[in-house]
This record gives sequence, structure tokens and C-alpha cells, in this order.
Amino acid sequence: MKTGKELKPGTVLRIDNDPWLVQKAEFTKSGRNSAIMKTKLKNLLTGYKTETVYGADDKLDDVILDRKEATLSFISGDSYTFMDTSDYTMYELNAEDIEAVLPFIEEGMEDVCEAVFFEGRLVSVELPTTISRQVVYTENAARGDTSGKVMKPAKLKNGTELQVADFINIDEWIDIDTREGGVYKGRSKK
Amino acid sequence: MKATWDIFCSVVDNYGDIGVTWRLARQLVAEHGLAVRLWVDDLNAFTPMCPGADASAAQQWQHGVDVRQWPAAWLPVAPADVVIGAFACQLPVAYVEAMRARATPPLWLNLEYLSAEDWVEGCHGLPSPQPNGLRKVFFFPGFTEKTGGLLREGSLLARRDAFQQSAEARQAFLQGLDVEPEQGALLLSLFAYENPQLASWLDALATGAQPCHLLVPQGRIVAGLSQWFGEAPLPVGSVRKRGALTVQVLPFVSQGDFDRLLWSCDFNAVRGEDSFLRAQWAGQPMLWHIYVQDENAHWEKLEAFLAHYRRGLSDEADAALLGLWRAWNMDRDMGQAWQAARQHWPELQEHARLWAVRQAAQPDLATALVHFYRNSL
Repeated sequence: MKTGKELKPGTVLRIDNDPWLVQKAEFTKSGRNSAIMKTKLKNLLTGYKTETVYGADDKLDDVILDRKEATLSFISGDSYTFMDTSDYTMYELNAEDIEAVLPFIEEGMEDVCEAVFFEGRLVSVELPTTISRQVVYTENAARGDTSGKVMKPAKLKNGTELQVADFINIDEWIDIDTREGGVYKGRSKK
Repeated sequence: MKATWDIFCSVVDNYGDIGVTWRLARQLVAEHGLAVRLWVDDLNAFTPMCPGADASAAQQWQHGVDVRQWPAAWLPVAPADVVIGAFACQLPVAYVEAMRARATPPLWLNLEYLSAEDWVEGCHGLPSPQPNGLRKVFFFPGFTEKTGGLLREGSLLARRDAFQQSAEARQAFLQGLDVEPEQGALLLSLFAYENPQLASWLDALATGAQPCHLLVPQGRIVAGLSQWFGEAPLPVGSVRKRGALTVQVLPFVSQGDFDRLLWSCDFNAVRGEDSFLRAQWAGQPMLWHIYVQDENAHWEKLEAFLAHYRRGLSDEADAALLGLWRAWNMDRDMGQAWQAARQHWPELQEHARLWAVRQAAQPDLATALVHFYRNSL
């Protein structure tokens, strides 16, 4: 059993006996301290996709899934191939299946991901909670602020933009929290 | 045969839940000829806004609405054709089972809170398929055509205009409440949560050049008001004066009388959702005390509304309006903010009236719900 607020990409729900993969989940605060979760679901039997909304406290049946460690092997167009680190089996996913983590997928990344399987089929990939990425472009710090409170935009290798502390420079590595769509955490120790 | 509608209202706090659902139920009956049952888990919150209602009755008819006590131990009833759970309230398990057992499941709607934020458009009308096979739909009221609209009775603005154009009607209404404002006084109403900036606003009113008469229906703000006068909680009927300010505590009035109160006043400070919306329809300058949320999530909602509401104001009036609303909701001094707003009063008055007209050009919430149901058949 999962509640609406616990839904995240990679969760599979059982709705009316069909398995539905959560491809995207957006948490929003509604009125009077309540919240909703807007999701993009894909029916794993038919491929049909739909958008839905759940209340944060709605109770939903989730499917227990197999999980294995995997790393990104290569990208070819919209196709992303991951390798099971235990037996070197290759699995392919398309961009839509990993829409939620796509902004942080890039060639050469070394993160050990969690590959999510439903009935032996790879359906999704989850990134570690914290990942490190290199900044390829950002403006120079405006006033030499070192507090970390002043933010500015920065671009990663795959084109993703996010807000980072003003003191971050080009080529530096930063830590990103992947849980809420990718939030800058600090300068990476890498 | 008339379509049947069940509306479920769980009273969480204050009067917003019941205020909205009671208005909706009445409008569905009066303007759309529907058979509506309104299930309320705390009828004590209902009786103040529906004089003559019985807080202990398991079932009663009020304004054509079948008002039911929502019992803790649910008794089986046949579900309606349309089922509305207001503000994400959880329906009785047995009722949901009965919905599932119907040959044609009802249209199950979750009526959400009013918000002006952009994300509302993207969530309005989306399904929420349930594990048991039933499909709930999220229905969002809102300020744009891509939302479910706002609660507004068909004749509301015409009734308002007729009232506001009749000095006799206004005077008779105010006299009925024992309100006799001084000649030339600015008449204001105040219905708000506790607010730390109340004192700074009252100071500004008391020291202003123009006499002000502040009408305060019984509610949570009265304690702060009494404190400002250095007195024990002021009972209903109290009239107190300090400087240019006269304060009068009114009884909690019915929804119809609350509308007339808002229409009578030159300025309305309101709160939450129901009175917030009614003040907009009043077409007078207003101030919203938004429901405070954890991590100040309400600030974004306040700014989202302001982003819509401010459109068309001159830069100066815009700054004054922003300053006033932010002061009231973000604990900043109200004195200067009030004075700044008063500098642009004619523009703020005209703007408030136009805002109501613009919003009234969109389909109202009850009509949108009825259309949604018809389209689902």
C-alpha cells in the first residue's frame, strides 16, 4: 500500500488489476495544508498513458517490484541502455520511460542506479538520492558571495539547467538531490 | 427524472467547508432543479449560516436541500448519480462500496480548494483512478476558463447592483443590525483570522482624518479587537470608539445577510475561501487574510491571486494594493500600507468592480459541474 504523497517515478500501481507505471510525479501543496500528487501513468500491459491526480493521503495498491543495480552503458538517440552490474545483461529503455530522471542522465555518468523490473521486464530506472554533475557553463560570481544563499543558473553537460550557489564556477562539480526533480545541494567533494 | 447529487462536507475548522458546500447545494437545487443531499459531519457549523436549521436533526429540508447529519456510524443509503467529496474529505467506506455496486457507477468528483496558481489548470478535470476500479475526478475552482470557475448564483450581481443602488435598502439592512454610521464615515467590515497586524491597522483608522465605522461579525478576530481596546472579549452588539474609529461587533449572520453586509461596506477585509470570494463579488476594495499554511506555502497562493487581480492597475495603485495585502499577510506594519491604499481609493474601487464583472463573464462553478456531469453521460 502506498499513499499519494509516496508516489514517485518507478512506482507501479495496481489499478483495476492492471499494472500502471508512474513515469512522473509532481507534488503540489493544495489548500489548508493538504496536498496533491499529479502523475503521469503508463499501463504496462497496453502501453496506454494518462495523467492523473491523487490526494496526498489517498491509499493506493502498489506492486512489489524487483530491483537490481545497473549503470548507464550508452545512449543512442532516444534509447538508453543500462547494464545489470551483477550479470552484465543489457536492458534498453526509451526516454519517456525515464522522463523524470532524464535531466540528470548523461553519457559517462558512473552512478549506480536502481533498475526496476516488473515481471522480468525493465520498466524504469531510479537515480541515487545524491548525484554529482559537472557544471559546463555559468556566469561568474557577481559579488563574490560565499554564503550559498545567492543563486544563479548553471548548465550541465547534457544541457540541463538548474540553480546553483553564486560561488560555483565553470568545470566545478556539484551535488544534486534527485528526489524533488533535482535540487542543488552544494559543491561536490569529487 | 431529476439527477441526484450527494455532497459530502467534513467540517475541519472554521466555516469555509460548510460555507462553500451549502452555497453549492442551494444553487444546484435553485438554478438547476437537481435533487441534492448535503451530508455534514458537524451541523453546529451549519446552523449559524442557516437560521432555523436544527443542529441535532438527522435529516431536514433547508431551501430545497436535503440536509443530512453525516453519522459516525454510517447507515446504508443508495448513492446518488453524482457524488462530490468536498476538499478531499474521505467518503464512508460502505458508501464507496455501494457506489461500486451500482450498475453504472456515479460520477465521483473531488471538489478542491480555490487557488489562482498556474498548476490548477493542468490538474482540473484529471481522473484519479482508484484501486477498486472506481474513477474519481479532481475538480478545481479557479479564476480562468481552464478551471471549474467560481461559485456565483446567476442573479448575484444584479441583486448586488439593485441593493447598492438603493439607499433605502442599504439603510434598512444596516438598521436591522443596529448599525448607524456617522455621516460621511467610511464603512468597513472585518472577518479574519487572528492577525498580529490588527493593532497597527486599527491605529491607522483611529488616527485618520475620515471617520471609520468597522463592522466585525462574531469570529476569531474579535479577541484581538478587544485586546486593542484593553477589554475582555467584546460581546455581540458592543460599540466602542477611539479617535476617528468606531468598532461594532455584529452577530454571525446568514450567508444572504453576509452578502448584504459586504455590499453595504466601502471596504471588506475577509478570509479563507468563502468570504474571500463573496467580497470579490461585492465589487468593493478588499483585503484577503489567507489561510496560513506550513512553510508559508500560502504566500505563493497569495501572490498567484494578486498576479491576476492586479492586472490593469496603474503602477502606483498596484504598489499600494500589493503593500496592503502583503502587510496584512506577512506581518508588516499596516499603518503606512493603509494610508498608501487610501491615496488610490477611486482607482481601487473601480478596479474591484471591473474585476467582479470580468470574473462573472465566466461560467460559474455550479454550472460547470452540471455540464461536466452531462458530458460524462
